[in-house]
Amino acid sequence: MPAPFHQEDDFKARLDAGLWWKLLRRAFHLKRYLIPLFLAALVLAVCDASFALITRWVIDGVVRDGTGANFTLYAAVYFAVTFVLCACVWLFIWLAGNISNRLAHDIRRDGFDRLQQLEFAFFDTRPVGWLITRLTGDCDRLARTIGWGFLDIVWGLSLVVMIAVSLLVLNWRLGLIILAVVPPLALVSRYFQKKLLFSARDIRKYNSQITAAYNESIQGVRTTKTLVREAGNLAEFQTLSSRMFAAAVLNARQNAVYYPIVITLGSLAAGLALWRGGWLAAHDQISLGTLVAFVNFAGMFFNPINQLAQRLTEIQAAQAAGERVMGLLETEPAIKDRPAVLARGAAGNPARIDTIEFRNVTFRYGTGPVVLENFNLTVQPGQTIALVGPSGGGKSTIVSLVCRFYEPVAGEILINGTDYRELPLGWLQAQLGIVLQTPHLFKGTVRENIRYGRLTATDAEIETAARMVNAHDFILQLEQGYDTPVGEGGNRLSTGQRQLVSFARALLADPQIFVMDEATSSIDTGTEQLIQQGMANMLAGRISFVIAHRLSTIRRADRILVITGGKIEESGTHEELLRHRGHYHELYTNQFRREREEAVLESGG
Amino acid sequence: MSSHFQLIWSLMRGHRLRYGFALACLLAATLLNYGVPLVGSVTIDFAVGGREPGPGTSAPMRWLLGLLGGGDHLRENLWLAAVAMVLLSAVGGVFSYLKGWQASLASDGIARRLKEELYDHLNHLPARHHDRTDTGDLVQRCTSDVETTRLFLASQVMDIGNAVILAGTALPLMLALHVPMTLVSFALIGPLVVYGYVYFRQVRHVFKQVDEAEGLLTGVVQENLTGIRVVRAFARHDHERAKFAGPNALYRDRALRMLRLMSWYWSVSDFVALGQLGLTLLVGAWWVATGELTVGVLFAFLAYLGIMLWPVRMMGRILTDLGKATVALGRIHEILGVAREPDPPADPALTAAPLAGRITVRDLHFHHAASDLPADGRGALNGVSFDVRPGETLAILGPSGAGKSTLMHLLLRLYDYRHGSIRLDDRELSSLPRQWVRRQIGVVMQEPFLFSKSLRDNLRLGRGGAPDQEIEHAARAACIHDTILTFEHGYETVIGERGITLSGGQRQRVAIARAVLKEAPVLILDDALSAVDAETETVIIDALRARRGRSTTLVIAHRLATLAHADRILVLDHGRIIQSGTHAELAARDGLYRRLWQIQTSVETDFQKELRAPA
Repeated sequence: MPAPFHQEDDFKARLDAGLWWKLLRRAFHLKRYLIPLFLAALVLAVCDASFALITRWVIDGVVRDGTGANFTLYAAVYFAVTFVLCACVWLFIWLAGNISNRLAHDIRRDGFDRLQQLEFAFFDTRPVGWLITRLTGDCDRLARTIGWGFLDIVWGLSLVVMIAVSLLVLNWRLGLIILAVVPPLALVSRYFQKKLLFSARDIRKYNSQITAAYNESIQGVRTTKTLVREAGNLAEFQTLSSRMFAAAVLNARQNAVYYPIVITLGSLAAGLALWRGGWLAAHDQISLGTLVAFVNFAGMFFNPINQLAQRLTEIQAAQAAGERVMGLLETEPAIKDRPAVLARGAAGNPARIDTIEFRNVTFRYGTGPVVLENFNLTVQPGQTIALVGPSGGGKSTIVSLVCRFYEPVAGEILINGTDYRELPLGWLQAQLGIVLQTPHLFKGTVRENIRYGRLTATDAEIETAARMVNAHDFILQLEQGYDTPVGEGGNRLSTGQRQLVSFARALLADPQIFVMDEATSSIDTGTEQLIQQGMANMLAGRISFVIAHRLSTIRRADRILVITGGKIEESGTHEELLRHRGHYHELYTNQFRREREEAVLESGG
Repeated sequence: MSSHFQLIWSLMRGHRLRYGFALACLLAATLLNYGVPLVGSVTIDFAVGGREPGPGTSAPMRWLLGLLGGGDHLRENLWLAAVAMVLLSAVGGVFSYLKGWQASLASDGIARRLKEELYDHLNHLPARHHDRTDTGDLVQRCTSDVETTRLFLASQVMDIGNAVILAGTALPLMLALHVPMTLVSFALIGPLVVYGYVYFRQVRHVFKQVDEAEGLLTGVVQENLTGIRVVRAFARHDHERAKFAGPNALYRDRALRMLRLMSWYWSVSDFVALGQLGLTLLVGAWWVATGELTVGVLFAFLAYLGIMLWPVRMMGRILTDLGKATVALGRIHEILGVAREPDPPADPALTAAPLAGRITVRDLHFHHAASDLPADGRGALNGVSFDVRPGETLAILGPSGAGKSTLMHLLLRLYDYRHGSIRLDDRELSSLPRQWVRRQIGVVMQEPFLFSKSLRDNLRLGRGGAPDQEIEHAARAACIHDTILTFEHGYETVIGERGITLSGGQRQRVAIARAVLKEAPVLILDDALSAVDAETETVIIDALRARRGRSTTLVIAHRLATLAHADRILVLDHGRIIQSGTHAELAARDGLYRRLWQIQTSVETDFQKELRAPA
């Protein structure tokens, strides 16, 4: 089983232009934000660059005209540019924020939609935590990269170009000398941004390992104590915390080297400007204001180039997240309606299910071993089929195939003689009532959970369903009756109570086919009897498949299938099988003994 | 507040010199950085502008000009200015590097020490404390709160130091250059700091709302994905989509609201900062025009403002974050303040002799919740007395809640008894060091905990340094050897979140092997075979029996197969012993044990009855 849980973000040396284009296209419908943002970035760069020019203009004016210079004009121009710049900053943040948040929202919505359509097999190999990260962290990160990253690049590039043009126009020879600093600046920035990215990633990695270590040590604290492992644990933890320490110090040192280097490069450019420009100014070839502008410009390259390097690195680092999210969005559900079925619409769906037939069905999970081979079975309404046998024998596979959570690899499953792949998936699932072995309840009240079976059900119908499965009485005894919150996963109810609620939920859907995986965990005798009666009410008159563990359930079935190694090993009624003295007899004896032992123990001394 | 500073000060112990050194480096780097614009200033005024130093020329400029050989010399050797600039930057850079390095050594060092202290402390807290606390909350404190503290130590301490240094150096320098100009340059600085502080205080609750919305969103996704099989079972895709749309939009809208606030903050703050620069430029230009000021000095002022504006704008944020750090530190100290499991130093006389394995329990009472015994005798244990001889196997039987596991926990000194007595070889348990006691007992719990390491490393936790051969031997005894060999990496297979998941029965068998390897004088199996099938159980019991005579064994079990092998059986109910004796004795007496035993023999007769009777 592939376990891609701990996949770290890979730094992609090559930019996958196709991927980013696909992602960027998802932002195109936000063009009412995108185009103004593009313009705001350009205007912002122009404003940023113009301050050095304004300073030059003011200084030259003052040196030339003294107090006769037009100070009102200077002030007006300066504050006009300041105002435009601040307006652009406002727009920039607001628009980029809109794009990134709206994009994240849309990608998340599409990803969530896709997850609702994917087949069970998809979830078998992917832990919940992994999927959650795709929809939260990855989505935000991608959208941020697109919203802020690409626009910062527009801004950074424009600003560098603006400064370069200004320098060259003011004095191209001096300009070229200063521009010579730009390539090393860019190289140094890129080099360090990459280094910083790697060490920051190491820190994150060790940090998550440290979190896991805390988790483990707290959960296993009794084991640690009984094995007297305190010192050993600490030694292992110290290895981990030392690694994190080393990574953090490395990251800090990289930062501490990087900034002085680029600032010294800036000083080098300013020094060059002062040296050559000073000579030119001393010989009246350029004005004093121009000299000041050159020195100022020399120090201005750092910020945009640093931004460019950082964003580019981020884009490369986010590429893995992009691949995972796009991978999710582009995963086609393996089980879905065929075009012909979609074209036909609702017409021709059988109103009643008269038979379900497995004909020569063979199945395997992915590329795994065959778990069901040439399986044949026909079931009619009113029949309860009990599936018994060792775990891994193929019982749940049969049930999952009935539900079309998986489809046969070979052979077919027929409903009223028609291959069920010729019928709409939605129709089939509407006919199904499913009770899982560990009944999952959603956070919410008891009532909300039962209503999940039929969203339009009235409160009265909910209570009727609860009465039918013997859940009503215990629900009324809860603190807030039907409005009692069940807690996360239903953990405020006992296992037996959860089971009863899930029965009511399934019954409310009023399905033609019932599929049930009986709970194995022991439940006290009182609840057990309630469950048995409830189940009898639930299954009456329907086609039902029960993966059975309790004897009373097995005994009541119309037909018992003993499934081992993907085949029906024995089949018949309880009595027939018992007389046969085969595998069933053995299973039955063990179970019988176990249930009795439980009953005696529970009754106490 | 002063107690907060004491807390932070004591946190810094062992690293205070390092912090001092980092701050000294910061001071040096700042002073050298001031030199860079000053070189520009001097060059512009006296070399290029052709001025002569007059009475208005400030002391720092005169000094620097002298250093560079005077105006005329500098005019002929302008490269000197360039070299001076680069040198000042480079040397300043070296100090800045030293500052960053030392500050990181200090702050990350403190964070590491804090994490290790917390980790060790958690391992030493009494089991009773762990019963009450929530894992998620503890982990949160050990990670997020430590990180908040680290950030405070790494950046905020240095940022505040930087601000103090800037205020303490730039101000005198600027005052020395030109007093009225300094006043103009600081006109809007105060409002800028206050604006930042007020803003970040205000948006804190918006940040929190965004976090909450994100939490809500994650919660909905998690609910949906953990219940995805139910969603599919009821074909509720559309319902789930609708349920997700709300939180998804809420998160977006709240994030956008925060962004709107951010965009106002940054644009207004930019406006004020640039306004300050503009004010300095224009007033300065006016004074240049009137001859009050030189172009060079104006240049220097603009450059210094440039250096100062960013830290000034961040000041508001730093001040608001200060509060966070003290809260985080408080939460950390709540954990460190809980007393560790008391463990008096070992009395060598008590622990020197090896343990034979005799256990004597007399009138043992225990109650989980209250500090004292309830009068009605409804404790977990209400007066239990029994003896176990060295090497004997004692089975304990009883319904859930009878007090079986509590008894085992008391033996392991996970909890402390106050009433009654437990003796190990006639040594009172409460007078023996906990760790020594636990070394004498091998234990397997019903839901054993395995660490996320390789199987071999997990087994070796039983006895450090055990050779591979003995590890395999123990694994064979616990019937897990063959299973391990079916895994791709055999004994090197990593288990847990980063590796494969074992079934309940497999976990129990690994834990049994681990306990067997420990070769302790006492072995406790607390329902340790409940998830193992009957056949394998018999094999394991036989293997353990083959070792009999080496360990005193206490077995909690439900199945007769396990019970029948014991030398003696205790039946426990409601914290009292209701029956005890050998299998033969108990089978002959009426009671729980006999009823259980009778099932075994009655199954076949009942079968026949059932077949005759109509179904």
